[in-house]
Amino acid sequence: MKLEHRKINIKDIQFGEKTEVVNGVLFVNKEEVVAELKTNNKIKEVKIDIARPGEKVRIIPVKDAIEPRVKIEGEGDQFPGVLAKVTQAGEGKVNILNGVAVVTIGDIVGFQEGVIDMWGEGAKWTPFSKTLNLVVEIIPIDGLEPHVHEDVVRMAGLKAAAFIGEAGREIEPDEVEVYETGSMVEEIAKYPDLPKVLYVEMLISQGLLHDGYIYGVNSQQILPTLLHPNEELDGAVISGNCVAACDKITTYQHQNNPVMKDLYAKHGKELNFLGVVLTPELTTLAGKIRTCDYTAKLCKMVGADGVIVSEEGYGNPDTDLLMICKRLEDSGIKTVLITDECAGRDGMSQSLADTAKEAVAVVSGGNVSHLVTLPPADVILGNMEAISTLAGGWEGSLLEDGSFQCELNAIIGATSEIGYHNCTSKLY
Amino acid sequence: MECLIVSNNPMVKEKFDNVYFIEGTSRELLEKVRDLVHSGSELLTHPLGASLRMMFSPYFSVIVKEKEGKLNCFHTEIIESSIEKYNQHMGVREEDIKNSKDYAIVDYKLLESALGEIK
Repeated sequence: MKLEHRKINIKDIQFGEKTEVVNGVLFVNKEEVVAELKTNNKIKEVKIDIARPGEKVRIIPVKDAIEPRVKIEGEGDQFPGVLAKVTQAGEGKVNILNGVAVVTIGDIVGFQEGVIDMWGEGAKWTPFSKTLNLVVEIIPIDGLEPHVHEDVVRMAGLKAAAFIGEAGREIEPDEVEVYETGSMVEEIAKYPDLPKVLYVEMLISQGLLHDGYIYGVNSQQILPTLLHPNEELDGAVISGNCVAACDKITTYQHQNNPVMKDLYAKHGKELNFLGVVLTPELTTLAGKIRTCDYTAKLCKMVGADGVIVSEEGYGNPDTDLLMICKRLEDSGIKTVLITDECAGRDGMSQSLADTAKEAVAVVSGGNVSHLVTLPPADVILGNMEAISTLAGGWEGSLLEDGSFQCELNAIIGATSEIGYHNCTSKLY
Repeated sequence: MECLIVSNNPMVKEKFDNVYFIEGTSRELLEKVRDLVHSGSELLTHPLGASLRMMFSPYFSVIVKEKEGKLNCFHTEIIESSIEKYNQHMGVREEDIKNSKDYAIVDYKLLESALGEIK
């Protein structure tokens, strides 16, 4: 399977008469995008804004971030099984508006947090402060059930990204990344002495605001499944998870999954990257046992020597993470976990809701309880009121000068469990 | 499968029959679940949510299978560590009462999904 990410480097977004890319500037015809989204009769109003790195703009409450792309060669189009008809993703050429993100906002339920600050302290913590953001606010018609509302916002974001992505169809890219591997049998024959590595990606799969989708199928309905990394890098996996701001995996992060990209970079040199297992995180214990057994079985069947497991969320998914780890280590497969920590304000408490002695190699994406102070913004895109909820439920978080304290858990992508973020560790 | 929904969510009480309703906080609810597990009941759903945000919920629902007999150590460990984790988080935070109506809906919807999985 061979996929080309053809990156068109975008240096600015501006509103214009035509949606097009000219000399590295993306012009967006606002009315055209609004009209396209309003073809859904459940949408009453669409507001579109631009937020650039460095501007004193706060975006809240964020639902998803999506990279605008267009498929110029190969089967299908972006988000097969969702926007486009179901086709096999992962093969062909994709033109990418590199540096741009479509960011969807809108209240579904009142307690959604999720902030992107484009400047200052807040910008340090989210990777989406460095993208040129086309902010799309979706206001639905009255009386929608929350799950319908969520669906409307999710689809509108994907549609906006696909619509904008179309502007890159005829543009020559500035750089091209190629992702290619043969069948497992071929790769094992090619690199017989390299350790065989699988990547297990866990997705929250539990219901309203807690879902992930593969080819449009709610991951709640699947058994763990074997995936070629190119499928996800080509838009087969999207996010429907809107409550865990710091460690939700946005669609943008799926489209650019850094674990996959890093494993590709080491493929054929240090290791043999055999593929991905997508694993749902269910809420029932029987479901957890079934998916963890099944995940371990797939890894054993493929003959993995090592497995990297990334989590999504915190709380009950910690149990899945450690059950998978235990099963793999007990089978003699070396296992590395990627998660984040809820270690208290001082970072001294136990990090996960569960423990296992087999978890001997763990990479932390950061402490979600770490406190930060965000200064007042000049412009707020979204809902001002959401700010009081953002702080995380304690008195005195709003300071006299208008700035407020919050935990990293309120900042989009702050402690990413697939490593698409800014936190790092320093050795002293 | 015979199951019991332990919940402090009024919406759940209204919509289902097999509810052990707790007039109390989420902490009291988790403690009741712990008592049931100690008397031999098994957990059908995990007592914690999938994100830190759900810890702020004034409402929780946990599904258990009523049993009397041998203590299930795996389930005991899960409920004990969940209570420990809950206490650790809520020691410095407050339940998000302002959005309680929305938490009730999400808790109800997640419960509905879990029941769909069990059937």
